[in-house]
Amino acid sequence: MKEFVKVGLAQISARLGHIEYNTSQIVEYMQKAKEEDAEIVVFPELSTIGYGSGDVYLDKVDENLEALSRIVSEAGKLNLWAIVGYVEKDLRGFFYNSAALIGEGEIKGKFAKTQLVNYRLFDEMKYFKPGSLLPVFETPFGKVGILISEDVWFPEAARALTFRGAEVIFVLSASPFDRGKIEIWDDFLKVRALDNILPLAFVNMSGVQDGVTYWGGSAVYSATGKIVKRLKLIESDFEVVPVDIEESKRLRRRDIRVREVRRDILEEVLKAFDEMTKWI
Amino acid sequence: MDIDIYLRDDELKLYRYIIVNSIKDRFEKVNVSRGIVALSGGVDSSLVAALSKAALGDRLLCLIMPEEGVSPEEDTNHALEVVRKFNINYRIIPINGVIDWFTKLHGEIKASAKNEKFAIANVKPRIRMIINYLYANTLNGFVIGTSNKTELLLGYGTKYGDIAVDFYPIGDLYKTQVWQLSDYVGIPTEIIRKKPSAGLWAGQTDEEELGHTYYEIDRILYCLVELELSVRETCKVLALPREAVSDIYKRVINSEHKRKIPTITRLSHMCLDKDWRYPADRH
Repeated sequence: MKEFVKVGLAQISARLGHIEYNTSQIVEYMQKAKEEDAEIVVFPELSTIGYGSGDVYLDKVDENLEALSRIVSEAGKLNLWAIVGYVEKDLRGFFYNSAALIGEGEIKGKFAKTQLVNYRLFDEMKYFKPGSLLPVFETPFGKVGILISEDVWFPEAARALTFRGAEVIFVLSASPFDRGKIEIWDDFLKVRALDNILPLAFVNMSGVQDGVTYWGGSAVYSATGKIVKRLKLIESDFEVVPVDIEESKRLRRRDIRVREVRRDILEEVLKAFDEMTKWI
Repeated sequence: MDIDIYLRDDELKLYRYIIVNSIKDRFEKVNVSRGIVALSGGVDSSLVAALSKAALGDRLLCLIMPEEGVSPEEDTNHALEVVRKFNINYRIIPINGVIDWFTKLHGEIKASAKNEKFAIANVKPRIRMIINYLYANTLNGFVIGTSNKTELLLGYGTKYGDIAVDFYPIGDLYKTQVWQLSDYVGIPTEIIRKKPSAGLWAGQTDEEELGHTYYEIDRILYCLVELELSVRETCKVLALPREAVSDIYKRVINSEHKRKIPTITRLSHMCLDKDWRYPADRH
């Protein structure tokens, strides 16, 4: 069994709506990942189209899908696995803030962000439909789960991926800096790793868009919630980090917090949730 | 409740980095070759000049535009101290001649409005704005603003005057944070310690005109804006009388027009100040 997966953290600075620029960044970082012997390279949320509020999402989606096809074929040529944030369009024409798992020159799986953000500068619900599936995907280096940004601020999604046997969770994000934000993200990522006894690889956007600074600081968290590696703040950066996917199995021999989750308690949680959402 | 306005040392370091980086980013994205800062010798413009110098180097030009005989000589000396300390390119352009022309015109208009004093006082920052843009347009530059969050929230600035700029690098910093960051980047202490003044008339100070100290104003604004508390809650948290808080609250809501483009009468489904939602950076 493989003990480490070599994960390329590709902390790019995407430009809003500049699909050509973003695609060339993605291709360049895939080449870098290959040169540095990564098995999989992970890009931030909405890497093809860029992150930011505004109606840019409405008229650039087709171009972003063409870019994704080009990225898939480049990844195929490099014989590299990749996870790329992009905008998905379904048969009805609805958009999703999504991530594609690319391997062996094809799309092996897709994930749509489940918790869209709609407060203060965020207005994702205006453009995107939320996903409601939490799949894990088979890869040559183990079972992987994908979450996008706000998904990791809620405990349920990471929990589901854990129950489905994820050995590592990749978290794609485009998080704008504001005061205290880095500390909050660090707490959430640490807690998700800790409560699921799983390693997490977090890849965040960097750079500035319209006065908003995406703070980068991509990081790998071990199954004990420790930061294994942190990339630069604010600037573009890249590093291949070995992620230990066996540690969690060793830890779980003694640590029963995943194994002993009780179904009746989960049902009680659901019952309580229904009470909360009832009209009063 | 925690009124946590003061920045920690590690935050000051990060804030400096983010602001300098954002000035560089704007400069590159708007594709200009000069940054223009109007330097009064006050703390806000001194800080913006120092941060812009770090971002743009010799492509920064500071304009010192005193009204000779009215602007305190101390301010011009402070401005000169800043450009020397940070090795910044500058020009001194006295604005007296232009003010005289407007003062004469002002005298010919029948003075009856109650804000008559402000009418001529506001001409001064507007003259400086015209000079800023004369330089910016001639040198392919952009104008970097010096307003801070406290001023922007209170509307304590002249419409189409000092707040008419291309970019606000310290517009998300409260005045008390401006003092902190200024100290951190090495702005001379006497500039940080002197009483803030918009320089609208001789002897004017901001705190006297606003009726509150910046310390008090920032604490009230922090509650109303950052913590999103009501006036009533803010009074309770800060143990202040209702009048103090509602005075600040009124200033904030009455100055919304200074922070927006002018209201457009909506006729289509794509009204430009309401429906058309595009950021400045896009492709």
